[in-house]
Amino acid sequence: MIRSLFYLFVFPGFIFQIICGLTFEWIDRKLLARFQRRVGPPWYQPLADLIKLFSKEDLLPERANDAVAALLPLISLSAVLTAGLYIPVAGFSPYSFEGDLIVVIFLMSVPTLAYYLAGIVSVGIYSILGGGRSLLQFFSYEVPLLITLSGPAILGGSWSVAEIMHAQVELGPFIIYQPLGFILAVVGLIGKLKRDPLDIPKATSEVVGGSLTEFSGVKLGIWHLVMNVQAVVGIFLLVDLYFGWTKLANPLTSVSIFIIESLIIAFTLSVTSAIFARLRIDQLAGLGWKVLVPLALLQLGFVILMGV
Amino acid sequence: MDKISIPIGPQHPLLKEPLSMKIDISGEKVLGGSLRLGYVHRGIERLAQQRTYVQDLYLIERICGICSHIHTTTFCRAVEALLGIEIPPRAQYIRGLMCELERIHSHLLWLGIIAKHIGLDTIFMHTWHDREMSLDIMEEISGGRVLHAVNQIGGVRIDLDQEHYEMIRRILKKLHSQVEGLLDVFETEPAAMARTKGVAPLSTELIKSYGVVGPIARASGVNFDIRRDDPYPPYDQIDFKVITHSGGDAWARTFVRVEETRESVNLCESILDNMPDGEVSVRVPRRVPEGEVIVRSEAPRGELFYYLRSDGSDKPARLKVRTPTLSALSLLPIQLSAINVADIPVVLAGVDLCVACADR
Repeated sequence: MIRSLFYLFVFPGFIFQIICGLTFEWIDRKLLARFQRRVGPPWYQPLADLIKLFSKEDLLPERANDAVAALLPLISLSAVLTAGLYIPVAGFSPYSFEGDLIVVIFLMSVPTLAYYLAGIVSVGIYSILGGGRSLLQFFSYEVPLLITLSGPAILGGSWSVAEIMHAQVELGPFIIYQPLGFILAVVGLIGKLKRDPLDIPKATSEVVGGSLTEFSGVKLGIWHLVMNVQAVVGIFLLVDLYFGWTKLANPLTSVSIFIIESLIIAFTLSVTSAIFARLRIDQLAGLGWKVLVPLALLQLGFVILMGV
Repeated sequence: MDKISIPIGPQHPLLKEPLSMKIDISGEKVLGGSLRLGYVHRGIERLAQQRTYVQDLYLIERICGICSHIHTTTFCRAVEALLGIEIPPRAQYIRGLMCELERIHSHLLWLGIIAKHIGLDTIFMHTWHDREMSLDIMEEISGGRVLHAVNQIGGVRIDLDQEHYEMIRRILKKLHSQVEGLLDVFETEPAAMARTKGVAPLSTELIKSYGVVGPIARASGVNFDIRRDDPYPPYDQIDFKVITHSGGDAWARTFVRVEETRESVNLCESILDNMPDGEVSVRVPRRVPEGEVIVRSEAPRGELFYYLRSDGSDKPARLKVRTPTLSALSLLPIQLSAINVADIPVVLAGVDLCVACADR
């Protein structure tokens, strides 16, 4: 009982993931600032921002549905935190079962759908525009991402993240067999997280704040938390699926390797957000269906052939 | 899909100055838009009639926060023409140097804004950092970053010494390599090209019929620059290139402005090389003889037009200012049809709005 409460709330659950989310936000902001010749925030800035948002007044337009608007960020947060439970962190996964990869992918889509609904229930013009865009974007990146993520599953012979991870001890890291798949997965992750250059649903100069334009206070704070935790869960998922986990004699070394691998992906996310211009929604749809899907199918075909 | 009307402004993250637009959209397609101006109208032309010529200088400098120097230069040239005096050559060159520094700073500011609007925040930060260099020069030689108060009727207020020359040359060299890098980004970065190429193209005929001037006109193949076609000192003594491009789209406008920035850096260097010695100002009488005059200058955004009428007193009888932004704004509703919602920022930024100039 106490053990499962510890798993749920401390590690690898609630507290650990939120700390990781805030750390990721700080690393991302600091790196971006350095790329842009700025100093960047101190390490406690994300936490300070969160506390500030939580203490601010919570306002919504008169016609907005208050109850639903309050529920949506909570549902999203619980979905990404639950997804995080099934993803092995440094090889540790207490709740792993066969097929949890599909559950994780499903739970990771919940925030996107909630984001769309948030735009609709908060009745601003920009919110509705941003919500519609987020759904369009969802259809552009989700299909190639699903096809790509089935690559490691087929190669590892299992639909459990932990099993796929362990399969790489024998076969070697899957990134060697699927470099293309790894790149596609990172692109899909950027789309999922609505980060630059795929921040189309919340492009400031076009739709102000996107779906979250009308949100403030605690609700906005939770939304920010959702985005950060989602980023961390996505990064851990990619590390498990493509780099694997090697249990060395010294546990400290293995944990350090896991952290370094996560940081490499975080660094990639920051660099891409710094150097690329934002795409237009029609350009993204074209990229998704004309480039990413064929490439993902190519990678999948290669994996299937290799399995035979 | 239903037609929705989205308001842009008077307050919007897209706008740095107040301007109101109503844009009709259907889904992601823009159907058209309408424009409302006048949020920063301060009645400067009327105020100028109530002040003396010397006081007007400080009023006119405050028409615009970006191209403040070119406004006073044009005003001084108008008053000097009525007085019938010629200012010393050294003063003309110092005025020219400030004009070109201002052009560099204005164009770099604009480049940063368009980069930000297409999501290239890194380039935004870098261009605004580079822009600081030209602001540093202006602060060092005049004491002010934005309002320089360099001009006075009959010359300039400041003089340059050997240390200034060395400092300016050193900074210009750095600026030169930075501008080369910027051009490289806008010419090669695929996502930036995809966002600007072919967006809201303007034909040469349209530009001419609306009387649009400046970099926007030059990006549509109109080969016109006051500095060359109606030259005033020091531009009649110095060689420079007028940059044109036949594309007419948002990318061509970017290209023209980056190339002009590079050309301005070169111009600054040749102004420094040819700087004559001597006095920087002459004494002028307080009262201006009766008469009227029209003076044109090339501001960073295009032709700046001043009409001045004097009744022989120490106050102008009428001052009329026509800024380049107003003509460019008249083309905005045309540009805002048959584009995507995502292109609105690119189109708006392409105009290089200076609402304070247009409203006065």
